[in-house]
This record gives sequence, C-alpha cells and structure tokens, in this order.
Amino acid sequence: MSLAETQTLEQRYLMRTYKRAPVDFVRGEGARLWDADGKEYLDFLAGISVCSIGHCHPAVLAAVREQAGELMHVSNLFYTEPMARLAQRLADSSLGGRVFFANSGTEANECAIKIARKHAHGRGVSEPEIVSFEGDFHGRTYGSLSATPCLAGNPALGPMLPGFRSVPHNDAAALREAVGEGTAAVLIEPIQGEAGIRPTTDEALLAARQACDESGALLILDEIQTGIGRTGSLWAYQQTPVRPDVITSAKALGGGMPIGACIAGPAAADVLEPGDHGSTFAGGPVATAAALAVLDVVDDPALLRGVRERGEELRRGLAALEGVREVRGRGLMVGVGLEDGIDAATVGADLLERGLVVNVPGPDTLRLLPPLVVDDSQIERAVGLIGESLLVFSAA
Amino acid sequence: MRREKSQPNPRPLVTSAAERIGAIVEAAERAAESVIDDAEAQARTYLEESRAEADREAAERRSTQAGLIASLLAEAEALREQAGQMVESLRRAEDELAGKRRSGDAPEPRPEPARASHLAAVADPDETRGGSLAGARLLATQMAVSGSSREEIEQRLKSGFEIDDPAAILDAILGPED
Repeated sequence: MSLAETQTLEQRYLMRTYKRAPVDFVRGEGARLWDADGKEYLDFLAGISVCSIGHCHPAVLAAVREQAGELMHVSNLFYTEPMARLAQRLADSSLGGRVFFANSGTEANECAIKIARKHAHGRGVSEPEIVSFEGDFHGRTYGSLSATPCLAGNPALGPMLPGFRSVPHNDAAALREAVGEGTAAVLIEPIQGEAGIRPTTDEALLAARQACDESGALLILDEIQTGIGRTGSLWAYQQTPVRPDVITSAKALGGGMPIGACIAGPAAADVLEPGDHGSTFAGGPVATAAALAVLDVVDDPALLRGVRERGEELRRGLAALEGVREVRGRGLMVGVGLEDGIDAATVGADLLERGLVVNVPGPDTLRLLPPLVVDDSQIERAVGLIGESLLVFSAA
Repeated sequence: MRREKSQPNPRPLVTSAAERIGAIVEAAERAAESVIDDAEAQARTYLEESRAEADREAAERRSTQAGLIASLLAEAEALREQAGQMVESLRRAEDELAGKRRSGDAPEPRPEPARASHLAAVADPDETRGGSLAGARLLATQMAVSGSSREEIEQRLKSGFEIDDPAAILDAILGPED
C-alpha cells in the first residue's frame, strides 16, 4: 500500500486527533528507521522516548516472542510471574514500597492521583488539592488532564475535575504559597518534556519536598518521559536533591509494548486497598516480560554512563551551531531553543526530508530523544544535519 | 486332531518367548538406565542453575540493599541536621520571646502549629536559593547510588549548589579520594 493510499484510509476512518508527518514507517532497527519506499532515517525521537533501547531490540523481541507463545493474558484475578518480578525490580531500583501497573503514562498518573486523594482523606482533608507546574504534561485522561494546565484550559473539554491548581514553573515561592493543609500532592515533572525539555530547578524541587513535608502532602514525580535511563540514571530524581514519595513511569518501560507503572514508596505504598483501583490488561505477561528485558538492558552502569557522555557530546555539538539560542536538558533528553526568526516546524520538516526524525514541541524548539544506544557517529551525523538545516533557515 | 495339528513345537516356542522377554527386559533396563541418567543430569543442571540464580539474586539484593541503606543513611543524616537546625531556631525564638517578656512588650506565648517550624531553616528562601546542605548530600548520595562518578557528582554540586569545595560531602559518601 502506498503512502497516499494509507493517508486516504486514515483520513476516512481515523478520528482527526493527530497531525501526522507524511511518512509511512515500515521497519526499525536500533536508531534507524525505514519508510515504505526504503528510505533510511536516523531516529532522534524514538517514538517519543518509547523505543529507548532502539527499535526491535533483540532482547525485547525474544522476551515478547517467548512470552506470547506461552501465555498472553489472564487478567489480574490471578498470579503471573513476570508481573511480580517486574514489581520487585521497579520497587527495589527506586523507592521501595509497592507498584501498581497500568497500560500507559496517563493511567499511571491516575493511580498516583487516587493515592494522593485517598492519602489526604486519611489526614482528614475533605477537598484535597493537587498542585502542578504550568508547562507540566501529565496525560490526557481526565484526572491527568486536569493536572496538565496547558490542556485543562480547553473549554470545549470542560469541566475539568475539581481540586487541581498550578503555579509558574520553577517558582519556588509560588509553590510554597500554593501548598497547604488541603494539599494532597505536588505532582510535577523533574524535567518538563512536552514543554520543550525544561528542567525543574533544584530550588523548586527542594521547595516542593519541603512544602510537602510541612503539609503532609505527597511529592509525586512524573518520570514517564525522564525515567528508564533517559537522563543518564535509571530515574531522573536520582540526579536531584529530593526523594519523592511516588513516581510514575511508562513510555520506555515497555520498549514499545504499552505499560505504565505507579511506584509508591513506604509513605504511600499501602494507601490503595482492594476495590480502590484496577485494570483488565495492566501488568499482563507480555508487557511485563518486555519491561523486564528493557530493564536488563538499561539498568547497566556502562549504558547509563554512555547516556550521560553522549548527551554531553550532543549538547556541546548543538550549542556550537549557528541558529541555536540555547540547549537544555540532561542525558539524552535534549531541547534546542532556536534563535528568533527560525520556525522550528519548518526546520523539523526539513530535517525529516534530510532523513533525521526529531520533534517540534513549540514554535522555537526542537526536542531530541534519541535511543539510549545511539553511537558517536550517529550523534555526529544528527548534529551535522541539524547544522545544515539551520544554516539554510538562519540565512532565510 | 485339529487342535494337535495346530499346536507348534513347545520347546522352540518357549525358547523364542524367553528370548523375546529377555530382550524386552534388557531394552527396558537400558531405557530405565537412560531415564535415570537423564533425570540425574537434569537434576544436576537444575541444581547448578538454581545455585547460580540464587547467587545472582543474592548479589543483586546485596547491591540494592547497599544502595537503599546508603540512601536511608543520607536521609537520616539530613533529618538529623534539619532537626538540629529546627531546635536551634526554636531556642533562638524562645530566647527572643523570653527577652521580650522580660522587657514587658511581648504577648503571652502561643503554641505554633507544628508545620510552621518544620524544616524552617531549610525552607528559608535565602538558603534554598543555592540549595541546602541536606539536599546537596541527598543529591550526592542518590547520584552515587545510581552510578555517577565522583567527578560528575562534584560538577553537579558545584553547578547546582554553588559549593566551591564539595570534597567533604564526597568523602563522606564515597570515601576519601586515593
């Protein structure tokens, strides 16, 4: 089927919720993709940080194939070993405590929101409130959406859930002011992803931790994009001065299989009880087997050190390019702020033509999320392509 | 008559049946030995794999526990420091109030809500602007546990916390530099 034919079907039968780039990818391997015409691309988006260990990693493929041939689904009414082993691995590698599995990031955040509200009710708070930063992105289901200020303001989708408020990103004073006895949780991203890779400052994180400690609220870090090695440590919080009460994970966790997880430390691990929450598909054997394979690859000091080193290399290369105003991020989670007058969408489309896949989260920003297994020559090539493109549009 | 005619020579029949039974018994014995050998080999393999798996899991647990212990120690240290700062703040406040009461211009003391003084010293915006020492220690501990090098932690402490000489923190967490 040609791209045009696929586009015709898409336009006729799919809801119009996405604006897709005109490419029909058919194959992937490592950091490379091929379209239906056989053209090769260097993938510096990794399916929005999902295929973090590269496309079709042999370990994930083997785990999925083996598990799919044995057992695919039985529901959460029964025990399955991969789920239990993954929960142990996630808890032991982060906050201790307990894990709830979901099918996506937004669902993982829904679980965290439920934990926060129930925890607050347990403290006698009748109308618990969740505080987030402007620019945060926590998901598109209604709880997570209500905690996502840039989307929650869409009146056509209203009303949002009550009990959510936001303060300007990195405004420690405003955060302290917003958090009080009625606060159930502060739910924030250690590095804002959809907003264009904007790290939350140490000061703001410390303020959040302290405000939560004072009020009895929970500190929830949304590690859906930052987790699973993306910033050069298994979890981004491990490079910050705070230890959260709850973290949420998804995206890279399944290596391409849909899975999310809410990991609650000791303070919140026992809040949810039978009947409080559930999911038919979540924690299924295939997705959890894939996630175990992903962790086998990512939870490796050598790989994580490589992420930090190649991230540094990438940021240094980008910062030297004409047309680049600033480079933000940590590890291989990189935002490129372009100089005034350069339209990021135009650059993104041009890069796709040149064979480099990137994301454009804002009018002046490129977002780069290459696979963690990207090598030096691929970094060099990507920087070269971006440099060539920016030369064209800087001059225009 | 018919019956007598149909009966074969009894001796060759017995011999043949005995041979067949012998052969069957021999084959069965061989098969049984093979099964026993296989079972023993599988049991040995299983035992070896189980031991290796147990060793690996024990090593992983030890590693994880070491990390958690290091982290908990850092948190405990941070809490101890914060508690000390809180006590010091309360003592200062008490001294000030006592002084004001003695001079007659202070109201009767009213108990403060617990949260108002919690982590007061660390929550001071002037202090947290550059980051608190407790935060710096937790950062260093978490980075160490997650595999960052001494140089990486040092750089992060200098850039994030404006600590010019983080050697004391690094030595406390990683041990003295060789």
